[in-house]
Amino acid sequence: MNKAPTDELPLGTTPAFAGMHKWLQRGLIVCLTALVLEGAFTFPLLALWYGWPQLSLHEICTEFEKIRFADDSRECIYPYPLFGPAEGAGQKTAQDEWGIQPKPLYKAIGYRELIQRRDERLARQAAAHASQP
Amino acid sequence: MTTNTMSMGGMNNLDDHHRRSREAQWQADKWMMSGALLLGTAVFGILGFPLFLRGMALQLKAQREGLTVRPIMVTLIGYLVAVDAALNTIGWALDLVAHHTLLARVFLMAWGNMFDAGYFWHYNELWLGGASAPGEKAWEIALLPIVFAMRIAAAIGFLQMKRWGHQWLIITCWFGVVAWTGYIANMTIFADVRYTGVVFPVIGWWLYDIFYITPFLALPYLHSVNREIFSN
Repeated sequence: MNKAPTDELPLGTTPAFAGMHKWLQRGLIVCLTALVLEGAFTFPLLALWYGWPQLSLHEICTEFEKIRFADDSRECIYPYPLFGPAEGAGQKTAQDEWGIQPKPLYKAIGYRELIQRRDERLARQAAAHASQP
Repeated sequence: MTTNTMSMGGMNNLDDHHRRSREAQWQADKWMMSGALLLGTAVFGILGFPLFLRGMALQLKAQREGLTVRPIMVTLIGYLVAVDAALNTIGWALDLVAHHTLLARVFLMAWGNMFDAGYFWHYNELWLGGASAPGEKAWEIALLPIVFAMRIAAAIGFLQMKRWGHQWLIITCWFGVVAWTGYIANMTIFADVRYTGVVFPVIGWWLYDIFYITPFLALPYLHSVNREIFSN
C-alpha cells in the first residue's frame, strides 16, 4: 500500500493540479533552457554575424552609424562625451519614407556583410584619392 | 521541504538528513545563482553557462539521492524569472542610461538590426538617447523599476520559499502579462519602423522572444500551488 517516495506528488502539488503542473514543468524546462542558451550565446553570435573579429567593436559601431544615417562620412565617436548631445541629434541624412507610419529605406545587413561594405568603401576612397592630381 | 522524512528513523538521522539537505541545496544554489548572475548580464553570459549547468546537475543529484531539496517547479520558475528579468533589465538599462557606450552601440544595435529595428532606426537621435521607436522609451521607464527590478527581488524571495516571494511573484507576473500585451500591441502598430530592413523580422523576433513568456507559465502554478509550503 505504501508508495515509494518517487511516486508521490511534488511538494505543493495537489492531485487536482498534478497534470497541469506536469505540463507547466515541461514548458518551464524548455523556456529556461532557451533563455540560458540565449543569455550565453546571443552577444558572441551577434558579434560574429556583424564582422568581429575582423572588424573591431569600434569599427562595427562606425559601420552601423553610416548605414543608420545613410552618411559615409559619419564615424562612431568613442568614448562619447558624457554630457554631449545625442550623437544623431539634428541629423538630416537618414533615409525614410516619412508619414504616419515611417518606413526606413536601409536594407538588412547580411552575414559578415559589414566587412565587405567597409572594404569596398575603403577601396572607393583610395581610388578617389589616387585619381586626384 | 520535499518528502522522504518519514523513513529516516530517529531524531539524529532526521537532523542529519536535514543538515545534508540544506548543504546540498546551498551548494546547488551557489552555482546556479552565480551562473544566473552572469547569464543575466548577457555580456558575460558565456561564462555563466557552465556554472549554471553545474548547479542544475547538483540540484538533480541531491533530488535523486532523496535529500529534502526545493521542489523542482520552484527552482525552475525562480531561476527562469530571474534570468528573464535580468536580461530585460540589462538591455533596457543600457538603452535608457548607457546608450552611447560602445556596448550599447554595438550589441543593442546588432540585436536591433537582426530582430527589431526599434533598436536600430534613428538610434541615439532622440534627446534622451537610445531607441527612438514610438513608445519604446515609455515602456522602458515604466517597466524597468516596476516590473523587472521587482521581479528579480520576488524571484529571490521565491527561491528562498518565502511567502512574500510567492506573493510578489504573483503580482509581478501579472505586471508581466500587462507588459507583454501592451508591448506586442505597440510593436504591431508600428511594425513598419520595427521590421523593415531587419534580418529576421516578425517570425525571428517571436522565435527569439517567445521564451520570455515566463508569466504565462508561472501564474497557473503560483495560483494552484499549496501556499502552505512557503514560510513567513
